[in-house]
Amino acid sequence: MNKIEPAAPEAPPQELSPRDRQPRWRGLEAGHRACQGCGEALAARLVLEAAGPDVVVTNATGCLEVFTTPWPQSAWRVPWLHSLFENSAAIASGVEAAMKAKGQRTKVIAMGGDGGTFDIGFQALSGMLERMHNVLYVCYDNEAYMNTGIQRSGSTPHAAMTTTSPPGKERMGKRHMKKDLLSIIAAHHVPYAASTSVSFPADLRRKVRRALDIEGPTFLLVHSPCPLGWGHDASRSIEIGRLAVECGLFPVVELERGELGGVMPIREPRPVTEYLKLQNRFRHLFADDHRAREEREHLQALADHNIDKYHLRGDGADPLDTAGIDTVRRGGPLR
Amino acid sequence: MATLLTRGAYALPGTSLNFKTGTWRSEKPQHKHWAAPCHSACPAGEDAQAWLAKVQEHKPREAWEALTRVNPMPAVTGRVCPHPCESACNRGQYDESITIHGVERWLGDQAIANRWTYPEAPKGAGGRIAVVGAGPAGLSAAYHLRRRGFEVTLFDAMPEAGGLLRSAIPLTRLPRDVLDAEIARIMGLGIDFQPRHALGRDLRLDDLRSSYRAVFLGIGAGKSREWSVDGAVPGDYADGLHLLKEWIAVGGIPMPKAVAIHGGGNTAVDLARVWKRAGVAEVHVITASALPGPGADPSDVLNVVPRELKEAIEEGIVFHEHRTIQRLLMRGSKVVGLEMVRLRKLPDGKGRMARVAFEGTETVLHVDMVVPAIGEVVEPTGIESLMHGANYFRADAFGRLKDAEGVLVGGDSRGDRGTVSAAIGDGRKAAEAIDAMLSGRDAVEERRDVVTFDKLNLHYFERSRRVALSELPVEKRTDVDEIEGGYSPAEASREADRCLSCGNCLACDNCWTLCPDSAVLKMKEIASDGSHYRFDYDYCKGCGVCAVECPCGFIEMVADD
Ligand SMILES: Cc1cc2nc3c(=O)[nH]c(=O)nc-3n(C[C@H](O)[C@H](O)[C@H](O)COP(=O)(O)OP(=O)(O)OC[C@H]3O[C@@H](n4cnc5c(N)ncnc54)[C@H](O)[C@@H]3O)c2cc1C
Ligand SMILES: Cc1ncc(C[n+]2csc(CCOP(=O)(O)OP(=O)(O)O)c2C)c(N)n1
Ligand code: SF4
Ligand code: SF4
Ligand code: SF4
Ligand code: SF4
Repeated sequence: MNKIEPAAPEAPPQELSPRDRQPRWRGLEAGHRACQGCGEALAARLVLEAAGPDVVVTNATGCLEVFTTPWPQSAWRVPWLHSLFENSAAIASGVEAAMKAKGQRTKVIAMGGDGGTFDIGFQALSGMLERMHNVLYVCYDNEAYMNTGIQRSGSTPHAAMTTTSPPGKERMGKRHMKKDLLSIIAAHHVPYAASTSVSFPADLRRKVRRALDIEGPTFLLVHSPCPLGWGHDASRSIEIGRLAVECGLFPVVELERGELGGVMPIREPRPVTEYLKLQNRFRHLFADDHRAREEREHLQALADHNIDKYHLRGDGADPLDTAGIDTVRRGGPLR
Repeated sequence: MATLLTRGAYALPGTSLNFKTGTWRSEKPQHKHWAAPCHSACPAGEDAQAWLAKVQEHKPREAWEALTRVNPMPAVTGRVCPHPCESACNRGQYDESITIHGVERWLGDQAIANRWTYPEAPKGAGGRIAVVGAGPAGLSAAYHLRRRGFEVTLFDAMPEAGGLLRSAIPLTRLPRDVLDAEIARIMGLGIDFQPRHALGRDLRLDDLRSSYRAVFLGIGAGKSREWSVDGAVPGDYADGLHLLKEWIAVGGIPMPKAVAIHGGGNTAVDLARVWKRAGVAEVHVITASALPGPGADPSDVLNVVPRELKEAIEEGIVFHEHRTIQRLLMRGSKVVGLEMVRLRKLPDGKGRMARVAFEGTETVLHVDMVVPAIGEVVEPTGIESLMHGANYFRADAFGRLKDAEGVLVGGDSRGDRGTVSAAIGDGRKAAEAIDAMLSGRDAVEERRDVVTFDKLNLHYFERSRRVALSELPVEKRTDVDEIEGGYSPAEASREADRCLSCGNCLACDNCWTLCPDSAVLKMKEIASDGSHYRFDYDYCKGCGVCAVECPCGFIEMVADD
C-alpha cells in the first residue's frame, strides 16, 4: 500500500506574519471551508480560544468535521480525532481514560452537531456522562442536520421548515417540539451543564473556562446560527443568534447538578416575530393563513414559557444581562 | 504510482491556510472613516468625534490640540455657540445627544487654567497678510494664517479685539476673562495687532492691497437697518443693538414701564433679559419666527441658543411668535401701544418665500417703548467698490470675492452667517484659500460622507442620560455672574464616554472577535484609515458579519470582482 503524505504547511516565512502575531491562541485556523457567516465555525474558534492549547478534541461527523478537515489539510492546531457520526463522546471517553493512565492533565473536549448529540450520538454521550468521564462535551446547535442538506433533528424548533419537515397542507413545518436536551443531560446529575450562544462571546468564553475547571463531565450547548439551513443573510448570523436569546426562544442558563444556577437575564424581551421574520425557515409563518398566526402565537407562548420557567426577565439593568454584557469597551491596539 | 486512500488519514496543523477562501468572495469589507453628523453640522468645522475620543482616552491636552487645530476659541464657543452639532448628534436619536458644548467648554477652560499654549508658529515664511476686523472671523483668520507661517497684521477700529463678543454679548453668558484669555493666546502667536485703525477712516483698501499679499475682511455688520412701522418712528427711537452695547460699555439703559422688542435673534433676547433684570415689568419680544417645540420647522425657529430662550422664558419674558407689528399707537411722538398681527412665511408661487399677514388677527399691546432688533448690514464706507450697493458681501465658499483677487471676506459681513462658530469657520477657510492661492494650488476643504444613525449597531451601547450642567436659579441671576456652569473633570469624562464614535473605529475588537474566518487581524500600527485592524483578504469570504456588528458603522461592504 502506498503511504500518502499530507500536505506540509507552506515554508515558514522569515519574519512573523501579522497572523502569527495575533494576541490570542489560535486553535482553529482560517482557510476552513464553512459557508460565509457560519455560526458554528465561529463558535468552535471561540471555544478553542478560551480552552487554550493543552486540549484534545474529538469530533462527530458533521459540518464542523467536514469543513475543518478537507484532507490533506486541517484547520486545527490541536490534536483532533474523528471517527464516526455517533461516537464523539465514546472516543473522548477513551482519550480521557488514556490521559488518566498516562498521568497527563490534558483536557479532552468532545464536539458534535445537534444531530450528532440530541439524536444519533446520544447514547454514547449518556454513557460518557454516566461513567463520569472528565470531558467537556460541546454541542454546536444549528438546529438541524446541516451537513447532509438540512434534515430535521430532535433540536429543530417547532414549526421550522427543513427538507424533512416541509410546511404544506398537513403541517406548518416541524410538528414536534425542540427536545429539552439540557434537562436530560442534567438528569445525569453532572456537575455542570449550560447553554450559551455564539452571539454572546463573553458568556461563551466564561462558560468554557468554567466547565474546564470542573472535574467530571460537563456539557455546553452553543446556539450557532446557520445561514444556509436557516435561510438568513450571512451578515446577520450574530444578530439572529442575539434575537433568539432576547426573545426567550433560546434560554441561556446554567444547571449545576441539575439545579438552576445562573441565567443571562433579558433586559428588554423582544417579540419572537423579530427573530422569526429574518429567517426563511419560518417564512411560512408569515403567510396569509390562520394556521400561520396560530403557530406564531405558539412560538411566542413557548418563549414566554421559557422566560417564566427560567426567570429570564431581569429586574433593571444588569451589567451581565443581554444588553449589558456586550457594551463596547475599548479593546485597543497591540501593546 | 496510483494514490490509494486508506480508512485512516492525518493532516498537519493549520494547513488549511494553504487554501485561500478569499476567492469565494463577491463583496469585501473595507474601513470607511465617515464624517460624524456632529462634524458635518459644526459651522467652525470641528470634528467633535475626534476630540471626544481623545477625552475618552483621558488625553485632554491632545483633545484640546485637535480641537484648536480648527477652532482657537473653544472656551468661547463652548459658552455661546447654538451647537447645531448637538441637534445633529446621532445619539439624540437613541436617547439624548452628547453635550458637546459642555465638553468643549471644559477643554477650553482646562487650557486657560493650565496655560496650555499652541506649538510655536513658523517664522513668517509665507509673506505678510492684512486682516481687518478683530471679531471671531478676523481672529480666526489671523490665527490660522499665523499657524501656517504667515506674518499677520490685524486691524480693528475699536481699542480692543473681540468684536461683538466683547461689545454685545452679555457677561452672564460670556465672562470677559475667558474671552481675554483666548484672545491673548491667539495674539501670543506673534500677531501684529493694530487697534483704533478703521478701514475707510485710517486705512485705505488700495493701500492694504498693495502692501500685503492678501487681505481678509472680517468687519461684521455694523450698520443699523432703517426701521419704521408704515413710516411711523417713535420720538425716542433707539436701535436694540445700540442700547445693548451702551449698557455693556457704560451700564445705562432707558427704563420704560413696558417695552416691546421687534426681532427674533440674539440681540432681541439678550436685550429683553437685560431689561427684565433691570426691573422693567413687562418685556415683550415680537418675532416672525416660531418658538422651538415639537413639530416646529427648524428653519422657522428663532435663531438663538436653545437654552437662552428657555432661560428667558423662565425669567418672565413674553414671546409673541409668528407676529409682526402692523401699527404704532402714538400720542404725539410718544408710543402708547402697538398693534400686532399674525403672519407666516409662505411660498409666493414664484419659488420664493413671502410674509403673509392674516387679516382679522390683530391685537393691541400696551407698551411705552418699541425697539427694533432686526439685524444689521455692512457699513460700506471705504469698501464701496466691493459692495456693489448690496447689504452684504457675496463670495464663494472660501470667502473669495469674484472681482477683487486677493481680498477675502467672512463672518457676519456675509449676511448669512450670524454665529461665532460660522465666523471662526470662515476665518479658517479663508486662511486655507490664501495659503493655496499664494502657493499656487487649489484650496481644499475636507469632505467625507456623513454616517447616519441607521449605520450604527446600537446593541453595543447602553442607554444613558446626558450629564447635566448646572444653572443659576432665576432668583440668583445677576448682571455679571455666569448663568450656566461647567463640568468637573469627572463629569466631562463621563459625558465624553457617551459618544458613539460615529463612523470611526473605537477599537472594540468586535470585528476581530466575530469574524468566522479569522480574517480580521489586529495590528500594532495604526493604518492610514485610522484603525488598528486589517482585513486578510486571502481568507475573508465577504460574509458581512463584521460590517453588521461594528458599533460605529466603520466597516462597509463593497462589490469585489
Ligand atoms: C447681542 C448679540 C448676541 C449674540 N449672541 C451670540 C451667541 O450666543 N452665539 C453666537 O454664535 N453668536 C451670537 N451673536 C452673533 C455673533 O456675535 C456674530 O455672528 C459674530 O460676532 C460675528 O463675527 P465677525 O467677526 O464676523 O463680526 P464682529 O464680531 O461684528 O466683529 C467685527 C469686528 O470688525 C471691526 N470693524 C468693523 N468695521 C471695521 C472697519 N471698517 N475697520 C476696522 N475694523 C472694523 C469691529 O470693530 C469688530 O471688532 C450675537 C450677536 C449679538 C449682537
Ligand atoms: C451513522 C451515520 N448516519 C448518517 C450519516 C450522514 N451524516 C453525515 S453528517 C450528517 C449530519 C450532521 O448533522 P449535525 O450533527 O446536526 O451537524 P451539522 O452538520 O448540522 O453541524 C449526517 C446525517 C453518517 N455520517 N453516519
Ligand atoms: S451548512 Fe450551516 S453549519 Fe454547515 S458550514 Fe454552512 S453555515 Fe455552517
Ligand atoms: S455620538 Fe459622538 S460622534 Fe456621534 S454625532 Fe454624537 S458627538 Fe458626534
Ligand atoms: S466577518 Fe470576516 S469573512 Fe466576514 S466579511 Fe468580515 S472579514 Fe470577511
Ligand atoms: S468592529 Fe470595533 S474594532 Fe472593528 S472596526 Fe468597528 S469599531 Fe473598530
